[in-house]
Amino acid sequence: MPIEKPLPPLLEWLPLALLVWLGVVVALTAAAVGVGCLVAVLRRGPSEGFRLTRRTLAALWTDLVFLSPRRVAALAWLAVKESVRRRVVVVFAVFIVLLSFAGWFLDVGSIDPARLYLGFVLTATTYLVLLLVLFLSVFSLPADIRSRTLHTIVTKPVRASEIVLGRIVGFTIVGTGLLGLMSVVSFVFVLRGLDHVHKLSADSLVAASGPAGGKTGYTEYYPSIDPDKDEVTKRHHRHRVTVDAKGEARVEIERGHWHAVRRVAGETGDTYTLGGPEGLLIARVPVYGKLRFRNEVGADTERGINVGDEWMYRSFIAGGSQAAAVWTFQDITERKFGQGLPLEMNIEVFRTYKGDIEKGVFGSLALRNPRTGLTVEVDIFESKDFVISRLFIPREIKRFSSARMVSRKIDHQEGPEYIPPRDALDHSLADRKEFDLFQDLVSDGEVEIWLQCLEPSQYFGASQSDLYLRAGDAYFAVNFFKGYLGIWFQMVLVIGFGVMFSTFLSGPVAMLATTGALVGGFFRERMIELATGQAIGGGPFEALVRLVNQDNLTVELEAGLKTYLVQIADRVAGAPLWVFAMILPPFSEFSYSNWVAYGFDILWTPYVTVPLLRTLAFLVPVFVAGYFFLKTREVAR
Amino acid sequence: MNWDRSFVRKISYLVAIVLLLLLLVLLGQPATTAVGDRPGSRGGLLAQIRANEGICEAQFGEIDPTSETIQLATLGMRGVAANILWDRAMEYKMKKDWTNLSAALRQIAMLEPHFIQVWRFQGWNLSYNVSVEFDDYRERYRWVIRGIDYLMDGIRYNQKEPMLFSDVGWFISHKIGIADEWKQFRRLFKQDDDFFRRINDTRAIDERDNWLVGYDWFGKGETLVDEGADMRRVSPTLFYSRGPMCLMSYAEALEKDGVFEEKARIAWRNAAIRWHEFGERAFPSGKPDDLIQLNEKERLLEEAARRAEELEKLAPKMRETIYQERRAQLTDAERSALDTPPEQRRTVEVNKAAYEAEMKMLITHEQVARRVTGPNVEKAMQAALEATRLTERANLVAQLRGVIAFEAWRRRAWMEQLPETLAARKFIYQGDEAIAKGDLVRAKETFDKGFQQWRLVLDRKEWVKQWPDIKTDHTLARELVEAIQRYRHVLEKRDERFPSNFVLQDILTLNPELDEKPSSKPSLPPPGLPGETPGKAGK
Repeated sequence: MPIEKPLPPLLEWLPLALLVWLGVVVALTAAAVGVGCLVAVLRRGPSEGFRLTRRTLAALWTDLVFLSPRRVAALAWLAVKESVRRRVVVVFAVFIVLLSFAGWFLDVGSIDPARLYLGFVLTATTYLVLLLVLFLSVFSLPADIRSRTLHTIVTKPVRASEIVLGRIVGFTIVGTGLLGLMSVVSFVFVLRGLDHVHKLSADSLVAASGPAGGKTGYTEYYPSIDPDKDEVTKRHHRHRVTVDAKGEARVEIERGHWHAVRRVAGETGDTYTLGGPEGLLIARVPVYGKLRFRNEVGADTERGINVGDEWMYRSFIAGGSQAAAVWTFQDITERKFGQGLPLEMNIEVFRTYKGDIEKGVFGSLALRNPRTGLTVEVDIFESKDFVISRLFIPREIKRFSSARMVSRKIDHQEGPEYIPPRDALDHSLADRKEFDLFQDLVSDGEVEIWLQCLEPSQYFGASQSDLYLRAGDAYFAVNFFKGYLGIWFQMVLVIGFGVMFSTFLSGPVAMLATTGALVGGFFRERMIELATGQAIGGGPFEALVRLVNQDNLTVELEAGLKTYLVQIADRVAGAPLWVFAMILPPFSEFSYSNWVAYGFDILWTPYVTVPLLRTLAFLVPVFVAGYFFLKTREVAR
Repeated sequence: MNWDRSFVRKISYLVAIVLLLLLLVLLGQPATTAVGDRPGSRGGLLAQIRANEGICEAQFGEIDPTSETIQLATLGMRGVAANILWDRAMEYKMKKDWTNLSAALRQIAMLEPHFIQVWRFQGWNLSYNVSVEFDDYRERYRWVIRGIDYLMDGIRYNQKEPMLFSDVGWFISHKIGIADEWKQFRRLFKQDDDFFRRINDTRAIDERDNWLVGYDWFGKGETLVDEGADMRRVSPTLFYSRGPMCLMSYAEALEKDGVFEEKARIAWRNAAIRWHEFGERAFPSGKPDDLIQLNEKERLLEEAARRAEELEKLAPKMRETIYQERRAQLTDAERSALDTPPEQRRTVEVNKAAYEAEMKMLITHEQVARRVTGPNVEKAMQAALEATRLTERANLVAQLRGVIAFEAWRRRAWMEQLPETLAARKFIYQGDEAIAKGDLVRAKETFDKGFQQWRLVLDRKEWVKQWPDIKTDHTLARELVEAIQRYRHVLEKRDERFPSNFVLQDILTLNPELDEKPSSKPSLPPPGLPGETPGKAGK
């Protein structure tokens, strides 16, 4: 599964993130207070202006710190009742209608139907829930103000902060309930949609060629609802089945799954019954390492070679050289991996010459002790790209192709540095017939895994998440519901922005503003690219020049004063865009649909905790701003 | 008063609504088919216009409820939706997300089922661009077939679109037949029961040759065009040549697979017959209502020669007289340049003078006819005009022939049926097989026999008239020179000298540019792959 932006460990990320957040909050607060104070001073004179500012800050402190949970709960309950009155259940009905007809549009003949089904339910839920909470959150307060309901509320002993927080909490409760219902229905939909049975008849098996004997053939597919009709056989898949000389049957993987086979001995011969699909809905628990590369002459590099791929996600290593992709794994303990290392790998192959088409390109995997430099080549394999290959490295390594001592080479300006130093290598460590994983290759819980391509002029491509240790499998159902957490984070943020905008804007305008924040959040990366001059074709002014001149995006503009001025204008225009992009939440980064669809467990830390903290980090200032805007309105005073 | 006005207004609105609805029914009522005793109807005006113009959904192909629902659900924004999906599909391809790419392509097709370029572009994308992203040839094959399946889905919705049939034919024949992995692809294609079941093709496994299957699909496209379907700006000559060319390639493929003798001979014979039929087909000449046939060039030239002869009889020695007159009018430099053989014209000035002289010396039939006097004037002019017309027409046919190398393939199809050619190819194939097995003794023996047979082929007397430059024909000469190079390498390995009286020495002498130095490494086939030349693969 591609993870284009891997998150650092929580404790590594938190201090800096907290510092940046505090800095931004302090700066924004100082700016807001400064501007407010200036306006007050200008309007009412210095002494009155400063007094008013001090009084506002004191009220802010009181309103934010002395929140009453009881009053917030009561206001939240009001928001829930209002949502129910506004028939939120319609959205659920739309969702059910969508799922009822989804079977028409989802191609069961897809190469990976599970990924398609899971991607669909998560995406559909995201759109519907975000749309719902957008409407709920932006029209609620303006409607109350228009109908003067809010006037009744503010006459009670209720703080403005409690009104804002009550709305946010109330709508979050409604959205959470709806999301929960949708997730359960989606789960059942996916299970039912992917469930199917195959039939294996004795007639479809023929004697297998080869010395092992046995039989081979294909299963036939029937929809689980009506096994007597075979009309759909043409449109679906079938599995190759091999029955060995002893009569044991094995079903090969097709479209990401297989089926367990039960052999039933009978008087007229054996019959076989196939179970439901397996391997479709899984949640591998990956342990990721940190990737670095080694170039052809054995020195460390940050990235490998670019073989011309437009997508720079994977870097490539040259075959038949010292080049390697090196993953460093930490916290590898006997308690976690006592039996050995269950490795999974999904690499890409690039050939510069045809070679032997019938075979893959040969490569090797080696374990290296980062402290001693002992490197044991544990496997030589034939490549297969876009497929997850599995390898189990046992604790006691008795079968290996080579063992040698290798120093890590890091080039500096003053000369190369070797870790460990080459003269400190103890070569006797490699003169062994067998190795123990933890005694010989793991040091302080750290081990390196080296991937190398063995054939000259051929290349392997890899990214950090392409090789991992499969620590086990989590429950798919739990992972599926974890996938909805991402939607929940997005939902809470939309509610926060919606309520905040609705405190000072009319309903339709608040909706536009919240939609803007939502769309801007989804395209945040693109905005940052534009603001920082990384976008191909330049910023808005350069794009305008290109439009007028009919130049394509990659043509260099003619050097000169005009181009210089255009680029300066883009930089000036980019600054506010950058600020705007930075204060928007990165909605797309909160999506877990790939994790669930590709069958990977969403790791609590950092992949749940970090987005949770980021959601809170955005929500707190949004709430304070909402409170402040409401406070400034006549109705709330 | 107010109430009355309001009431009248409401009644007016109601009447207007009813009238508009009636108009809508009149215009938009759908056509229905007869069910049991209930008769069908031609529907409203719009339905009738659609039926007359042949643009009803049902006239294009199958009506798919899924596609119709998606189109309705987009509320008239299907163009926008298709564009967004297209953009996403491109991103999925870039990021190698094949599952989502397939899903996006399916959705685009459902939104725009009659947008032929979508089917063609994305079918090509899957078979040619996505397939090569995989290293394993089996996966590559799967994606080639996915592209073909995608086109076939397009055919379900557009059953009268010849280019989709032609594309299916092209993918099956060319992508499978001449890719780097053609050997593996052809093998997998033969074994692909699922594919043949999907296309309801019940032919025997022996006949599951990609070239033959491709030929059939080209034929389906041709039938549609013959019935009046649009060829979408493809040259008719090219369009109709693809089917017969498949049969040529089939015969070639048989020989690459090591099948010779009767089966190969029949394959070449069928290809020759089909090529001749193709030559008989009438194509637009470019002039209004004028058709020409590729086979008619020789007949036209003969007829033109006959008319020119008639003219010569009516104006004896007139051409020679005019020639001498014009020659006398040339400058000394031009005359001298004209008399210099072309290979000896070494300077630009001489070449220029020769060209100008040649232009001045060109004598048309009409110029000859104009010199005729007396009662034969009209006859001579008629003969001259007819000879000119026939020659121009023959030139036009020659141009069309050149686009598809018509003559070269016609000669080849004939030559390949000869027992000597079949024997020659068989021996060379066996020689390559022997090299692959490391049996150099047998390799030399069979190569010798093969070259002997080629000698017999090249020395046939028919060539003097039909194919005078057979020994310098680039394709044939290159093939022979490459075989000779492999033979030379075998001799080197056996420490034997290349014979000074080599049986095909004239081929080497006449084509020195094709022959590498003896010491350089010839393109020996890799072990186990006789007949296949190693090449480079991008991926």
